[in-house]
Amino acid sequence: MASIGIIANPASGKDIRRLVSYATVIDNNEKVNIVKRIVLAAQGYGIDEIYIMPDSFMMGGKVIDELLAEGVLRSDCRIVDMPIRADSSDSTEAARAMNQLGVGCVVILGGDGTSRAVAKSIGDVPIIPLSTGTNNVYPSMFEGTVAGAAAAITALSPEPRLTCIHDKRIEAYIDGKLSDIALVDAVVSTEISVGARAIWKTSSIRSIIVTRAHPASIGFSAVVGSLEIVKPEDDFGYSVDIGGEDVMVKASIAAGIVERLNLSLARKLELGRRYRQEIDRNCTIALDGEREMQITSGEAVELCVSRNGPWRVDIRKTLEKAHAEGFFRVTTR
Amino acid sequence: MKGSEESYRNMYTCMKKIREFETTAMNRFADGKIPGFVHLYIGEEAVATGVCENLRNDDFITSTHRGHGHIIAKGGDVKFMMAELFGKATGYCKGKGGSMHIADASKGILGANGIVGAGHNIAVGAGLSIKLRKTDQVCICFFGDASTNQGTFHEGLNMASIWKLPVVFVCENNYYGISMSQARHQAIKDIADRAVSYGIPGVAVDGNDVTATYEASREAIARARKGLGPTLIECKTYRHRGHFEGDPGTYKPTEEQKAWLEKDPIPRFREFLKKNGIMTEDDLAKIDNSVAEAIKDAVRFADESPEPDVSSVVIDVYSDITEEVRVR
Amino acid sequence: MSSMTYMEAIREGMSIRMRKDDKVILFGEDVGAFGGCFGVTAGMFAEFGEERVRDTPISEGAIMGCAVGAAATGLRPLAELMFIDFMTVGMDQLVNQAAKMRYMFGGRISMPLVVRVPAGGGVGAAAQHSQSLEAWATHVPGLKVVYPSTPRDALGLMLSSIDDDNPVVYVEHKAMYGIKEDVSDLSPIPLGKGDIKRVGGDVTVIATGKMVHESLAAAQTLAGEGINCEVLDPRSLYPLDTELIKESLSKTHKVVIATEETKRGSYAGEIAAIIAEDYFDMLDAPIVRIGALNCPVPFSPCLEQVMLPNAQDVVNAVKRIV
Repeated sequence: MASIGIIANPASGKDIRRLVSYATVIDNNEKVNIVKRIVLAAQGYGIDEIYIMPDSFMMGGKVIDELLAEGVLRSDCRIVDMPIRADSSDSTEAARAMNQLGVGCVVILGGDGTSRAVAKSIGDVPIIPLSTGTNNVYPSMFEGTVAGAAAAITALSPEPRLTCIHDKRIEAYIDGKLSDIALVDAVVSTEISVGARAIWKTSSIRSIIVTRAHPASIGFSAVVGSLEIVKPEDDFGYSVDIGGEDVMVKASIAAGIVERLNLSLARKLELGRRYRQEIDRNCTIALDGEREMQITSGEAVELCVSRNGPWRVDIRKTLEKAHAEGFFRVTTR
Repeated sequence: MKGSEESYRNMYTCMKKIREFETTAMNRFADGKIPGFVHLYIGEEAVATGVCENLRNDDFITSTHRGHGHIIAKGGDVKFMMAELFGKATGYCKGKGGSMHIADASKGILGANGIVGAGHNIAVGAGLSIKLRKTDQVCICFFGDASTNQGTFHEGLNMASIWKLPVVFVCENNYYGISMSQARHQAIKDIADRAVSYGIPGVAVDGNDVTATYEASREAIARARKGLGPTLIECKTYRHRGHFEGDPGTYKPTEEQKAWLEKDPIPRFREFLKKNGIMTEDDLAKIDNSVAEAIKDAVRFADESPEPDVSSVVIDVYSDITEEVRVR
Repeated sequence: MSSMTYMEAIREGMSIRMRKDDKVILFGEDVGAFGGCFGVTAGMFAEFGEERVRDTPISEGAIMGCAVGAAATGLRPLAELMFIDFMTVGMDQLVNQAAKMRYMFGGRISMPLVVRVPAGGGVGAAAQHSQSLEAWATHVPGLKVVYPSTPRDALGLMLSSIDDDNPVVYVEHKAMYGIKEDVSDLSPIPLGKGDIKRVGGDVTVIATGKMVHESLAAAQTLAGEGINCEVLDPRSLYPLDTELIKESLSKTHKVVIATEETKRGSYAGEIAAIIAEDYFDMLDAPIVRIGALNCPVPFSPCLEQVMLPNAQDVVNAVKRIV
């Protein structure tokens, strides 16, 4: 029996970045469609059991009911039994439950924030993050059917992590204790409230720390990426401060928004080393683009880039390997 | 950001004032002092407060049957409001409107409204008026989740969008249309999704975090003032009470109520202010006391005010015609 | 001498005020470059531009609501509903908002709006485009209702309707758009002032809209038989010129009330009730009402003719009481 999990975040894709930039809009009914495609592809490629996170829009229920009514649901498709809190902790709890259920792969629909919530508790179960969020860095744009196929192949594989990337992550320590994580970037902002969560005013940003940086992305990793490319496989992180006179760059800081920024103190960060942040006033730290942590002046904040992130399926590589092994050949006896 | 500390103070005071007004209205309704229907805003204070903090006196709002919070946040006078709830001659509407019809044109308050969904198009009219008078005012249209099932929502957003009117549509999604839960009354979860149909931005924010409603509406209002057209902001919130006073709200699951009470916007903001050293416990207590005093004054004013003269019953039907009160 | 059709007079009334006051604006379905479904607003788009002569989507609720919001915030909107029948779709905004705001808000808001509603049958437009629903509006305190029957009245009443600080429902009969007369007097006609369209001493015929013309034709016929009808056009349904009615009755002591409405629940019934309550002592004969049959307006011309009242009905009614 091979199983996969699906975590679809009903809240992704509607935050304030639709207003302050030109971010993508994906409504929940489209997410239901994508989940259907994942389910159908996964069962088509040999998955027997599929677990779906419960959510307040009841996406899983809609998928199951509608596929049953159409007479095309063959796998044992279930909603994970857990209470709903209608916030990001649902994704974290669902990932924990799926890990315990022993699923072979988890497909995530959401943005950077959703992947981050899953990464907190998914352990070493391979994940396939699909972007239904705000023009993201971490999840990728892939057709649900293809993602379903890759999930099935991963779950059926005896050595699933061979075609995965073991990602980095940023660990945020407060007074020596691990407080939270980010998968792509952590930004220290002088905004004191979490407000509408996203950060869009570069004037409030003090410093940026990234696990990866590339000019082909958008957001804070693009800011660093306009200076230095940092790949997921590189064994270091990167940090810059905003302001100062060192260098000025042009960067895609949000969907459709290009800004000039002064950067200073650019430096590589060693994996596993904790870097103390100079915090002399109340501020917030945004993790993967959203203000999450409210920091009071005087708290000892350390940020550390490590290789403790999730195992992310390389979809293309996974499918190519399966192809080479004859996975798609139907043999008739 | 400069000025934001003052805004924080204003917003705490405003939320507290709304809560105190509503709690008092709740008690006076229970005592039989207030006739008719009263729909309380308790639990949703962060929406009106955060949004109206970005408004000027000459901006407009349209409100709903659950309108006390909007009116207080837009600068309505609690004395005249309370007197109106009591049906007194000194009330905003001289005792003719009651809780659901409070308006104050001098402050741009185009009225609470007893018809669910009526505000959408009135806001469109105000927006057209702003556009044609060439000012940089805005009109905020407050409405609930259930009103987005009315045809007026569609008509209003469509027209505001094609004409690029300076209207910000602020949906207070409190998850219930009277007793019918959102999951039962519409096939979507995020009302912000509906914006796509009108080609306007739609965003969803935590409606129980006044810093979130403040920030989101600030951006939308700035956009409207610049002539970039309407925005739909969905604020996720929860009413602590029933639909109206007298409705025990038995359709709301206990667990759900408990979870939302933990997210009560006022204690949350209070903690935030203290944690960031913006206000001390003492500062906050001072505001609490002065707000409580103001509401007590309002009740005293209402209590001591005269009933309307019965001869006024036929006045103000028209600007220029007053029919006789005929013997029946 | 300047000759104008009923349609031109409505247009000229609106245009006179729009030339004088930027706050007067016009919107409705296809009122712009298209010139309105019946051509009433033809040329206004060219004269006043797209901002002030504004096409709306087919959204009667939004048209009425927009008029309410605009009137409440400093404009004097003229809204056109293409047919009075479509008033149903904008009814909440008309009845619950426009009509009641001033009162509900303790007199603290002004509602200077005019909604034009083309009414009436006789053009083969059938059940949903031919009704006479003015009684729905007269029933609602807070609304004023006018119904001109001639080009001069159409112009004069339009000016006063726009000048009024209250919501005015301006009923115009679509079968009268082409009637023509000299309109050299461009002054407003106050709301609430009726007009004697023909002087006579034997019977008062109170008629509105197109029934004024049917009644005048009937009076002509009856004059040949020695019966002198006085034809009284109230012009405003609310406020109603009861003084003029009283004056006429004090001379004739007999009354026929002729409107194109479906008879059941018609405004003619309200006028009859007022006369019965207040002027019963003046009457020498029962009040007679002429109206349409109590059925929807049918399509086929022969059916429509039977359904709608006409001059012969007035002749017959007068003969019953004289």
